[in-house]
Amino acid sequence: MNRRLEERRAYYARYKRNVKTNGKPFFPWAMFEDTVMSLLVVCVIVALAVIWKFSTPHEDPGSSGWLGKLYDEKADPGTTNFVPRPDWYFYFLFYLLRIFKWPDSVVLGTVGVPTIALLLLIALPFIDVGTERRPLRRPVAMTAAILTIITMGVLTYKGATAKEPLAAENLVLVPQWAQKQGYADNPVAVDGAKIFAQVGCMNCHTYEGAGTSNLGAPDLSSIGKTSNRGVAGFADYVSNPSKFGNNVMPQFQDLGADNLRKLGTFLQSSGNCNPKTSNCPAAGGQ
Amino acid sequence: MAKSKPTRVDQVVYLLTYPLNWLEERTSSPGHSGLIGGIKYFLFRKVPGDISWGNTLGSAALTAFIVQAVTGVILAMYYKPDPNSAYESIRHITDDLWAGWLVRGMHRWGASVFIILLFLHMGRVFLYGAYKYPRELNWIIGVLILLLGMLEGFFGYLLPWDQTAYWATVVGVNLQATGPFVGPFLGDVLRGGAEIGPDTLARFYSLHMLVIPGALAALIGLHLWLVVRIGVGSPPWSPLESGPEPGPPPAERKGLVTPAPRGAGVRRR
Repeated sequence: MNRRLEERRAYYARYKRNVKTNGKPFFPWAMFEDTVMSLLVVCVIVALAVIWKFSTPHEDPGSSGWLGKLYDEKADPGTTNFVPRPDWYFYFLFYLLRIFKWPDSVVLGTVGVPTIALLLLIALPFIDVGTERRPLRRPVAMTAAILTIITMGVLTYKGATAKEPLAAENLVLVPQWAQKQGYADNPVAVDGAKIFAQVGCMNCHTYEGAGTSNLGAPDLSSIGKTSNRGVAGFADYVSNPSKFGNNVMPQFQDLGADNLRKLGTFLQSSGNCNPKTSNCPAAGGQ
Repeated sequence: MAKSKPTRVDQVVYLLTYPLNWLEERTSSPGHSGLIGGIKYFLFRKVPGDISWGNTLGSAALTAFIVQAVTGVILAMYYKPDPNSAYESIRHITDDLWAGWLVRGMHRWGASVFIILLFLHMGRVFLYGAYKYPRELNWIIGVLILLLGMLEGFFGYLLPWDQTAYWATVVGVNLQATGPFVGPFLGDVLRGGAEIGPDTLARFYSLHMLVIPGALAALIGLHLWLVVRIGVGSPPWSPLESGPEPGPPPAERKGLVTPAPRGAGVRRR
């Protein structure tokens, strides 16, 4: 017969007998400790709420206290110039997404790794089937646990300290880009570059070495050459990327047709392909 | 034996315990105790003599959940799940209502405390090897509670309808939409359309205050029921209950199975 199962059953029967003989009643012994702990939890929660409120300056309730702001600005779907931040317990996921590259492997970061981790966690009692419970005699399990905690800690820390460029920092780079890419004489493309720098594109995309590679979004320095959708094609894509099978990138149709046209011109001009001069290959999608 | 007349004390005890006995009789069946019997069993069941503060993390997490439920119910009385008034209702709760800032602050920070306690509790269970036979099912339920707890945080994050909330959710939903096959569909279902708007907020509100808390409460109930049913695990270094010693098969070491004399090797209070 299955010796392991027999061993487990014997252990459990022994445990039940021992508890019956040597155990103590839940009330009042264990319940006392549980009650003290519960009161402590409530006190900590109240203390956090009090610190949150009273460390915020009275004269300026919109500013940040020790535990952050009481409230942010009201949500404005029109301004995309906002750096998204999840709650702290999602920082590890947030950072995981920077490790994988879009579009080939981003699904590993968003779905793959978290799903595998979750399945492993659920399967733990079926992977570690030994009866030994003393930590020092379970070296494999303990090593795996410590490595998991370190990994989660590092990913959380990295996610917490990851920096996105500010719109103002990107904006001063626009003349440089225009010079280098050769669209300085095209005001529509320069306007597009300014929109690009401000509305949040650079929270995920890099351009001429600036910006952040987030969610593995591609570098756009020569997108006009590599993708070559044409001005209208790019405008169309940016306004609703999911129409083109891209469900990662947010929609930007709120920018309006005029801004989207400028953005499209800028993207088409990137990669030394200025529609004003005729060195462009025939633009597709127009 | 002569039947003595019931004393005044007997009569008072009878009167006082009458409602309890009534309840017990209406909730029991022959051979199975009822509600009062169940509560008595819960309170006076034996737990291992050497459990200590490490074993309080589960009930600490339960306390945090109850704080979330109570403060959540109060917040729901004043919160308006509509993009035009959600943000204003949060400011109203925080700035105008008596102790509104306290209730909202407790809900805001209680969420983090709940998640931290779930992780600590999980770590303790891992350290004690308490996910092993016969507690495998309870480990799985615990993992589901952690998953739902994090989802609860995700759906609640949008409700203040401020910039942080809005844009974190835009990214979060877009991420789910990257999933294979069901991903884009799931993204549309969560948003309630192509964009994050009124429908999304109502959907998140419903999930945050009805669906997930309901599921969480049910799973927590099941989790506790199994804890009581199977018994609280003793620490693995407990000399009596640390599992079978490596050596001869169980049948041959019957001697070990007999209970040790009271107090032998076990720290007692």
